[in-house]
Amino acid sequence: MQPLDAEVAIETPEHIVFHYRVAGPARRAIGHVIDLALCYGVIAAVSVLVALVLGLSLTSLGASMKAALGLLLVALFLAQWMYFAAWEARLGRTPGKMLVGVRVLTTAGRPIGWREAILRNWLRAADFLPIAYLAGVVSMALGARFQRLGDLVAGTIVVIPERAVAARAIELFPPAEPRELATLPDVVALDAEERAAIELFLRRRHTLGVAREQELARIVAEPLGARLGYAHPDASRLLALVYDRAVNAGRTEASPPSLFPPASGAP
Amino acid sequence: MRRHVSALTEKAFASHRERDWRDLEELVVSAQAGLRKMAHEGIVRLSPLYRSVCADLAAAQAARYSAPLVSYLRDLTASAHTVLYGPHGVSSRGSLRHAWLVAFPRAVRQHRGAMALSALLFFVPFAIGAVLALRDPAFAFRVVPEAMLRPLTEAYAHGFSDGRGDGEGAMMAGFYVYNNVGIALRVFALGIFAGLGSAFYLVHNGLSIGAVLGYVTSQGAGGNIVTFMLGHSALELGAIVLAGGAGLSLGWSIVAPGDRTRLASLQHRARELLVIVGGAAVMLCLAAMIEGFWSASSAPDGVKVGVGSTLLVLVTAYVLLAGRTRERA
Repeated sequence: MQPLDAEVAIETPEHIVFHYRVAGPARRAIGHVIDLALCYGVIAAVSVLVALVLGLSLTSLGASMKAALGLLLVALFLAQWMYFAAWEARLGRTPGKMLVGVRVLTTAGRPIGWREAILRNWLRAADFLPIAYLAGVVSMALGARFQRLGDLVAGTIVVIPERAVAARAIELFPPAEPRELATLPDVVALDAEERAAIELFLRRRHTLGVAREQELARIVAEPLGARLGYAHPDASRLLALVYDRAVNAGRTEASPPSLFPPASGAP
Repeated sequence: MRRHVSALTEKAFASHRERDWRDLEELVVSAQAGLRKMAHEGIVRLSPLYRSVCADLAAAQAARYSAPLVSYLRDLTASAHTVLYGPHGVSSRGSLRHAWLVAFPRAVRQHRGAMALSALLFFVPFAIGAVLALRDPAFAFRVVPEAMLRPLTEAYAHGFSDGRGDGEGAMMAGFYVYNNVGIALRVFALGIFAGLGSAFYLVHNGLSIGAVLGYVTSQGAGGNIVTFMLGHSALELGAIVLAGGAGLSLGWSIVAPGDRTRLASLQHRARELLVIVGGAAVMLCLAAMIEGFWSASSAPDGVKVGVGSTLLVLVTAYVLLAGRTRERA
């Protein structure tokens, strides 16, 4: 099943395929505004401090004040052209990107280096045209991976790395009684979608009221029961039993150590 | 079929492998904080652990274990993957030296066609602007605002006998970094629009600078502005031309991609050009120092002209000759 969201598939040398969700323009714009506020906020704060220390005079600028102005201009240059590149080259993300939960990767799924970071951020000047990143947004809209011009040139994507929490395996509770298993077929074949739907239901059913739980379960339990020639007064229980048989039949609880050797410290 | 894939229930599988998963999670977190700070044992374990968790992911997918387990393993391996695999071409220590001694001048020569076109697009309007403003000073006002030109002219007419006041050199140097390096980077970036952005900026800048030169000369301060500009112009105008040439080349890589797709051609060319743009930015920073602290100083005109001409010769020789011998090999 192809997901509707913008996703990219990345295959690693281990032949494992990751699917990353690509960050859209709204999330990236928020991150960008946070970055601008942070970066220019710090510069403004330091400038005010320096001006206070040197003694601000509006009528004439002292020598040290002029020198400080020169440094301020250099700081503004670095803010405009190096702030994003430096953060992304070192950590793959700017503070703003951290806060909105995105990071920059190459289209091959690797972390980016200085080359990519500098290219994608110097090209910002083109993305910004004619006003407010219009060129960048058009470029994002035309491609499948939400790449602005800088991303296209540097070969980068902005993704939302996700950290799923390990969930416990679904267990049949209370354990099946012989009476329940008497008419349940030994082999239950469920296709991937049926499995996913039942699994989602079994994980969520504790959050539902009893009536709603039965109502939802019946939608699947009735045709499924008819197909398998199996009936149970409790539709929700029927799904749990069928799922357990489909998933765990023929599988053992004991773990053969030879199948998955533990990763040792030896290289 | 399924049963041949894995003989373990999901629960048994998870409880059997969970310890390694937690270990990998911890290692990834500490690696994200910095590989240098990681313990030796951790670094040694990271790679085999990662590979075994990759195998777990493959097994979990094949055994059709439940979605949360599969996505947990997928996200875990993904985060380990970003830690384990660094960016391509991790630079060596000597690469900066190589960049400015060899790579930069070579890259400029490699794209000499674009550089020549860039020089034309800059210096022809420059000459036209200068000649037109000399013949009709009012022409300059159509390119550069009069409010900017008049005080500029007064400053040049006054000359540099007093030099710059304390701190003013630093202020102006900062301004030149902010303004000029910014222009160079923009000239390059806008090349992505088939080179048209770069061409526009080159023509516009050439015409403006030429008009200023012509106007100030027509007002009788020609000697002063020439000695002022000569000090840094080799680096400054040269860098603008190089950055513009890089932009034109970037645009041309989309127009005429050759054997590659347009996107691949663009990406490949951009990587080649990056060293030129970086070099141009460094040249402009140097020019900013010269322009801030030297060009308007009270040094005698003869010395300024001498230094400026020497720089011009050196920069030209550097771009044309540096890194050449090994190029043939």
